[in-house]
Amino acid sequence: MLVALVALVGGCGREHGTARVRPVPKVDGSPALRGGGAAKSPRIANYKIDAHLDANLHRVTATQTLTWTNTGSTALTTLPFHLYLNAFKNESTLFMRSSRGEMRGAKASASGWGWIQVDSIQQGGKELASKFAVGTEESVAELTLPEALAPGATIVLDFKFTAQLPEVFARTGYKGEFHLVGQWFPKIGVLVGPPGAERWECQPLHSFTEFFADFGTYDVTLTVPNTYVVAATGVLTSATDAPGGTRTLVYHAEDVHDFVWMADPYMEMISGQAKLEDGTVEVRVYARPEQKDFARRHLEAAVGAIQFFSQWFVPYPWPIMSIVDPPVDAAFGAGGMEYPTLVTTSGDTVFARPGLRLPEYVTVHEVGHNWFQGMLASNEPLEAWLDEGVNAWADAKVMDAMYGARSSAVDWGGWQAPVNELLRAIADDPSSVPSPLASAAYAFVDSQAYSGSTYNTTQFALSTLEQTVGPSKFAEAMKAYAQAWAWKHPTGRDLFDALSAKLGDLSSFVGPVWQSVGGMKLGIRTATCRLAHPPRGVFGAGSAQKTVGEDAAKPSGGYLCEVVVTNTGTMHAPVDLELKFADESTQRLRWDDRGHGAWERFVVERSEPLVEVWIDPENKLALSSPVDHRYRLDGNGAASLRAAAWIASFTQTLMQVVGP
Amino acid sequence: MATSGLRLGLGDLFAAGVRAVSRYTGTLLGVFVVQMLVAAACMLPIALVLAQTFAHLPLFDEAVDGDLVALLWSLRHGRVAWLAIGGIVFGALVVWQLVSMFLIGGLYGVFAKRPETRGDTARCFGASGAATYLAYVRLAVCALPGYLLVLFVFALGMGYVGARVETMLAMTDLIGPLAIALVPTLLLLHLFWTVSDYARVELTVRHESHEPGAFATYFRSLLYVLRHPRTLVHAGFGWMLFLLITAAYAFLAQGHPMYGVEGAITLFAVRQGVSLLRMAVHVGIMAGQVELGRTRPLPPRREEVKAETPSER
Repeated sequence: MLVALVALVGGCGREHGTARVRPVPKVDGSPALRGGGAAKSPRIANYKIDAHLDANLHRVTATQTLTWTNTGSTALTTLPFHLYLNAFKNESTLFMRSSRGEMRGAKASASGWGWIQVDSIQQGGKELASKFAVGTEESVAELTLPEALAPGATIVLDFKFTAQLPEVFARTGYKGEFHLVGQWFPKIGVLVGPPGAERWECQPLHSFTEFFADFGTYDVTLTVPNTYVVAATGVLTSATDAPGGTRTLVYHAEDVHDFVWMADPYMEMISGQAKLEDGTVEVRVYARPEQKDFARRHLEAAVGAIQFFSQWFVPYPWPIMSIVDPPVDAAFGAGGMEYPTLVTTSGDTVFARPGLRLPEYVTVHEVGHNWFQGMLASNEPLEAWLDEGVNAWADAKVMDAMYGARSSAVDWGGWQAPVNELLRAIADDPSSVPSPLASAAYAFVDSQAYSGSTYNTTQFALSTLEQTVGPSKFAEAMKAYAQAWAWKHPTGRDLFDALSAKLGDLSSFVGPVWQSVGGMKLGIRTATCRLAHPPRGVFGAGSAQKTVGEDAAKPSGGYLCEVVVTNTGTMHAPVDLELKFADESTQRLRWDDRGHGAWERFVVERSEPLVEVWIDPENKLALSSPVDHRYRLDGNGAASLRAAAWIASFTQTLMQVVGP
Repeated sequence: MATSGLRLGLGDLFAAGVRAVSRYTGTLLGVFVVQMLVAAACMLPIALVLAQTFAHLPLFDEAVDGDLVALLWSLRHGRVAWLAIGGIVFGALVVWQLVSMFLIGGLYGVFAKRPETRGDTARCFGASGAATYLAYVRLAVCALPGYLLVLFVFALGMGYVGARVETMLAMTDLIGPLAIALVPTLLLLHLFWTVSDYARVELTVRHESHEPGAFATYFRSLLYVLRHPRTLVHAGFGWMLFLLITAAYAFLAQGHPMYGVEGAITLFAVRQGVSLLRMAVHVGIMAGQVELGRTRPLPPRREEVKAETPSER
């Protein structure tokens, strides 16, 4: 019977049957920007691509026309390009060396290498392939132009290329019949810097870094098997059946800096609407049938996220947001990645019961990236914290607003936890990272240091700043930053300047937090209390000398209490202290340790003894561990006894299992 | 009463258990007190370790009251304390394992000989526990390969689940593989535990008249248990009751947080009641095992070999 059971359960896979021909999808019928209207971005890099997917070989063959404008002040003789898929070409690439073939729990397969080959580049019909030099790091290449490109001039380049997708383990590739086609075309670098001092940003792909590109328009024609469902950046403008059981879909996107698409024969789509002040956004979730319960959760999270991000920062400008929930066997490799108007999510697992909001959090985070990097297109390789960390800070607020400030991460089995506090409790100590927060992504010592600093420490630092200056003022300042820098390439300096304009000088906080190592380590070194009495001893000299003893200087009936607080970290901020006395009365003190040493002694005299000291009672300082913030002068073992009773009882149950 | 030759059904075994528990309630309570003392001896150092680390930190009060975030901070902050507590728990289990060999020997002895008075019961308990202790230790060594096999099957099962867990979406996805992983392990464990039980019964009942030997007894008991599935059903019923009592307590305790020192004491008292009930079930099963064990074919008789002394020559 057991064998039969094994065979029965072991044989239960997720069979989807033969892929069926899908109905021709309806075109979206809406402009690429909600309500149409003028360009929002400078539209420097514009692409027109015609791509064919060979779903069996997981290969894309395409032609591409790039129209690029030199916005710099000097003439250019070379243009750098990203060939991202070459990061997956062999074990010698920077990406594979830095990731050791493993990323976020997904491993590179031994045979599913990815690469991109540019077969032809032409300018005005003239072949330039021989001038296209692929670098030692093959994820970048440089094109030498036959003639210098003058400032303000536009160049049109025609490419032919073949893109072999890797078996997905890091944001792009295939798994079975699922295809996530990201970073798949030759993409020009970004010319940054002030006039006269421009430089190219076109870094080879490192496992800690993501992407950076100029805004533009994309007109992309995709030909795929007619059994496939496709989701892509932008709006669908045309869909027609083509010969050989294929279908041709045309997408158009405006003011985006990337184009991604997903093709899968088994996915279904559900949709909802996010309501904004100036209209609606259609939110679509693509998932396989077995993931439909999670798809509903992702949809609810995405709708809420779009509404709150739009309200708090900049209205979502595009008419559609697509959420792709990758198949479970591709979730580690393909899930949790952001692209303009299309993101992938993850977190679908048997353990994510309703109320355990990992799936929702991933969706909110990825949707949030459409603001922090999608619209505020910061340089991810150089300043990853500026999109990941700022986004993580905003995500926690969105989750609190959507699911309740006490239960935004966990509301299950009687347990509750908010996102920010849960992350604080499980994140690494910021002082353990041997690099300042404001480091380039690729300069961190390891992925743990990178993610700890980039995501968590930035989130906690912004949360600390927010609580210190006041949430409403901070929200106003962040909104001003978002509105000023949307459709541009902001830097960290731009963020701090924008915040300082609203909040005053932040240098005493920003410098130590972003540019030094050490964290914030607040603690209570000593807390004592004794009966107060007038001074005793020998006073005066000669005939006036007088001895004051215990009889003459009796206790006054009050208590002299002394508290020493310390901050042994390098990050400093004003701190509130609450002293609690035996009669339940409290006294507030404030310690601003910025420039005043790393410790302070407070002495107070009260009629009742001090019973408890609490640093930061409002829990504003997310950068410091709350364990050391609260101290009770007289120990109380009741909780210890209760916990011990529980553990002993559990032990006794084990004893009864192994003995009588 | 000699039962040899009779075919005992499950009902007889359960009835024997009920009789034994009602007749030797004092013995049961005595064994339970020993267990409670070991549990209390475990609780006190745990409370001290926790108090040493957390008595001045109100955050721990919140953790114990069910604040998840405070609990995570407390786990993180008191790593050394938690490690020490793990050591204490492990130590208590080892001590109990050693103590329980004496107690089980005593209980089997009492159920086999059925002494009438309290004094006789106490003497019988002590004598049987002491007489069989070393034989039980040897038996435990003989049982090790069986437990290693259980561990191996468990590891295989966990590997099977581990390979699938990443792609599981619903509880129904989990239950099948988990059953495949755990059922063979639990069945094997149940088999080897039952074999040990019957081997202990054999060593206790026959140790005065026969010389079974630990290994031979274990092997014979294995064959006996395999040939008599009711031994497994009978012991399995005991485990089912054990689980039911535990689950009922967990269900009834939901929504009744017991705060403060009084809460801790109440909690301890209630849980002791649950433990006593479970021990009664266990002891009742042991009594049934003795009843059945007496009907087993006799092992080889002890050969009395006296060394001759020069004076006797």
